[in-house]
Amino acid sequence: MNNIVFRVHPTVNFARFGTSDEYILSPETSAGLPQKGSKVTGGLPIKKGTDNTPISSKDLRDEDGNLKKQAARFRIYAYEKQSEATYPDNNGLKDSKGVDIEVTIGTKLPDGRTVTDLLWSSHLANKKAAVYNVVNNKGIKAYADGQVPQMRNPEVHGKIDDPSRLNVLMIDAGPRAISASSNETASFNRCSTASCVRDQAQIESLPDYPIRFPEDYNDELYEPNGPLNTLGDMLTDDQGRLLVLSSSGNSVGQYDEYGVPIQMTGDLNNVGWFDSAADGPVNVTLVFDDGSTEAAFGAWVVCGDPAYAPQIRNVVSVWDDVYDMFVRDLSLQDNLYSKKNNALEGTYKESYKPNFAEDIKPIFIACDLQRWTANLPPMALHAHSAVVNITEQNDPNETIMAALNFIRNPNKDETNIGAPLMPLSLGAAGTSFLTVTKTQYFMLEQWSKGHFTKGDDSKLSAGELIDMASMANCLGGRYVPGIEVSYTIMDRDIYIQDWKESGSGPFRIKHDLATLAYRGLNSDTPYLSSGWIPLHDMTDGLQPGDISKFMATPWQTDYNSCSIHATAINTDGTNKSNGAESTLYWSWPAQRPDAVYVAEEVFNNVLPKQQWSIRGPGTYAINPAAAATFQDPLQSVSDWHKIGFIIQGTNVDIDSQDFSPELYLEVQSQLSRPGDATDPVPAWPFNANSPKAKRKCSHK
Amino acid sequence: MKKEHLDWATTHFNSHLQGAVELELWTIPYYMSAMYSIKDRSSDAYQLIRTVINQEMLHLQSAANIANAFGLSPTIAPPTYEKNKIPHLNLSFNPSSATEPYMNHSFDIGPLDEERVNGMCLVELPDQGTTKSELILETLIDQYSSIGAFYDALRFGASALKNDIKGGVKQVDAFAAFYRNMPNMVISESGGTGLDQVNLLIDLITDQGEGQCKNGIEVPAVFQNTADDIEPEIDHFEKFRQIKDSGKLPETYAVKDPCDYTAEDKKLEQILIQQFGQLTELLQALFNGDNPQNFFPVMAGVGAAITNCWKHGVTPKYSETNQL
Repeated sequence: MNNIVFRVHPTVNFARFGTSDEYILSPETSAGLPQKGSKVTGGLPIKKGTDNTPISSKDLRDEDGNLKKQAARFRIYAYEKQSEATYPDNNGLKDSKGVDIEVTIGTKLPDGRTVTDLLWSSHLANKKAAVYNVVNNKGIKAYADGQVPQMRNPEVHGKIDDPSRLNVLMIDAGPRAISASSNETASFNRCSTASCVRDQAQIESLPDYPIRFPEDYNDELYEPNGPLNTLGDMLTDDQGRLLVLSSSGNSVGQYDEYGVPIQMTGDLNNVGWFDSAADGPVNVTLVFDDGSTEAAFGAWVVCGDPAYAPQIRNVVSVWDDVYDMFVRDLSLQDNLYSKKNNALEGTYKESYKPNFAEDIKPIFIACDLQRWTANLPPMALHAHSAVVNITEQNDPNETIMAALNFIRNPNKDETNIGAPLMPLSLGAAGTSFLTVTKTQYFMLEQWSKGHFTKGDDSKLSAGELIDMASMANCLGGRYVPGIEVSYTIMDRDIYIQDWKESGSGPFRIKHDLATLAYRGLNSDTPYLSSGWIPLHDMTDGLQPGDISKFMATPWQTDYNSCSIHATAINTDGTNKSNGAESTLYWSWPAQRPDAVYVAEEVFNNVLPKQQWSIRGPGTYAINPAAAATFQDPLQSVSDWHKIGFIIQGTNVDIDSQDFSPELYLEVQSQLSRPGDATDPVPAWPFNANSPKAKRKCSHK
Repeated sequence: MKKEHLDWATTHFNSHLQGAVELELWTIPYYMSAMYSIKDRSSDAYQLIRTVINQEMLHLQSAANIANAFGLSPTIAPPTYEKNKIPHLNLSFNPSSATEPYMNHSFDIGPLDEERVNGMCLVELPDQGTTKSELILETLIDQYSSIGAFYDALRFGASALKNDIKGGVKQVDAFAAFYRNMPNMVISESGGTGLDQVNLLIDLITDQGEGQCKNGIEVPAVFQNTADDIEPEIDHFEKFRQIKDSGKLPETYAVKDPCDYTAEDKKLEQILIQQFGQLTELLQALFNGDNPQNFFPVMAGVGAAITNCWKHGVTPKYSETNQL
């Protein structure tokens, strides 16, 4: 019985906000990638109650026009335990056809045991208001040398972990546990009782757990989309898989002394504001027909933005960053990269052959898909088409990608060089432009030398595929601070580092087990602390809320503002790029649509003029640098759910029109109607208005 | 039948229009080869040359637009390169004091070195006022002392034949968004109004190239790149002189003797020749009223092929008769 380990997949999964009580499922395929036997590319959410049927445009909102939530679905896979796990792990249990066996209620294992119940548990929290500021031009370096940034909400007295401060500022819904066989559900809300799974596979109520929500310590709050009294829900499907639902995504703010909502002073660290993003561990205990029980290696859930362009692949995704870190820091694949003990850097192995379809083509596809969410000029569109049309049969030397002439090299100091080097979107904290990861670049180099494999060479198991897909659908590279997660997702300290020996497999966030024991509860005293921070040698694992706390508060103001910027926003206000100070670039073009094509304005598959994704009343900008945003951040808090989604033409369901699978179009926007006057979208390159002249010193 | 003077002048003016296109096209591989030979893409030299190349492409577009406005669709063919020859220019007409600092030069294709930097300065040498532009219609086309002088002559001819200008004919506009202050980059009007547009494009070419040199202004704001130039107010000549005067040229890729080329090297050389040949065909189509969809990818592919050559130690060749 001890030679099988159980793992929850995806290791990191994402539940998406929605204002409706109805839900669909977060995608389990990888954004923009071809899917066998279908014209529909990966990344689309899944219809409720199906294994993997992509939604159509009509599934995004309910009958009343409310935005449906996207549930994060967790599955369990079993693996033969090895003395050292490998990646890819070829030791998953398989059926007679060689298909990986997913463990659900009723699954019979090779040792004869049958699963009779799955006891799922999770714990969601939001610590944003209680912890440290996001420092947009420093990123993770703000925590270097024993330092920490300034605390958020500094007017609330106390040190970072003072109970009085945490009581006021931390949102902690507490843990919940449910039995799949009993079809139980749980809400991470203010009014229900916390619960957990104890050692004897029993669900235990925790009436003394100190649940905290903003209304506990604020007599009155500005609630444009209703009260913030839940962080989400938890239920199971008919197979016993866990579904985690996010909150509605609402935010609430305090009132100032004049009785108006407290002013938002920026995009990242707004004082007096709370949002309902959250994150936390996911665990499951398997109960067998012989009375035995086993705990699986758990996962992590993050509840966040709606993913408005689910099939538009990021050139650098969270997956690319996490994979890169595991390759270079945690010995993911010894045949790809090796590093001597204590060495800072290792070396890639020249003998390694990337697979064109798995390692190279996704980058090319991502490059081409940016056209659907950014205002690229015609010359770029043609060039991107040439990139995506490269096949494994082409001689790399004869392609536009020869010598990687237009790729910014992450191993050199090239982050301040703009066009024609790619990607042309803004870079990580302190840099002007984005680079692919070092591992992505190595793969591209190998391909450019003709050193790659062809055909469908994937060796990933079913669980590993959804690990990859889940993270591949999220914004990487530019964690300033990010959309779903921030730069800490690349920090090795948050993961189970002995993933080989422990049997956990890679990419699994380490849980703070001492905290998750739920001992010594007192309803008057906050249970969670400010938790893990980077670069402070903290390797005991994460508490609930330790991922989302590095994000902006409230989330809407950052989403709203991160449309287009001059590069100086990343580099302390000084233009370090090789272009004009006022030239504008895209911040998160794949994850935060900027310029889109509205499906209802397309006829005979002829594209109309682009529109800003955020448009209509309240969005008219005098300065192009502020285009495509709600001009008043308060409107972003109230109207974010009206923004449309960009999906493939195949799944655009508008009466009497068929759309080409080549098109990715905006649907279900509630911000304007076809024909309404809106801010025009200029061709790139476009420029911000000249900055105001700096005030001269009156003494000179 | 004896030709009327104006017929003769039109023919000769057309040879100048064609010559302008040839001259602009000639600079592009010459400069691109030098730029892509530099290992450090963040170096000032690389970035300065990049901005010049982008403007040479704009100049090629402008010269072709002017030609088409006069009814001449230019012919595009791969240029050839010689150590001492720039198409249609005769540098010996300049005072020796102007050319002396750059005498160790080569107009042949090669990496960025002293000979090439000097050559690049000579290509963009400001007009010394030694060519009589009013003689344009009765002089040889290859006897101009500088690009500025060449375009002075073109301006003279354009004015004389302004009634031949037809706006909106086979005009190409690929760069407008990079020049937010520029009113128009095409000849959209006919006759006298069209001549104003022709002169605007000639000013664009010469002011960006050799500089205006009036009132302390090199490139006036209207012609300055507003998007991706590290020094938009500096003309080409000054940019190249900055590189020359920097004291140390950036490291370039090692160059092999052609006798040592491997089979792969020879293949890379052929890829570039093939792709540049395709590019010239597409340029021909572009300036003859077609809209070739793969123009920009092929243009970019040429850049990639040049880099690939240098990385293997292969000196770029653009045609089988690249070097005469």
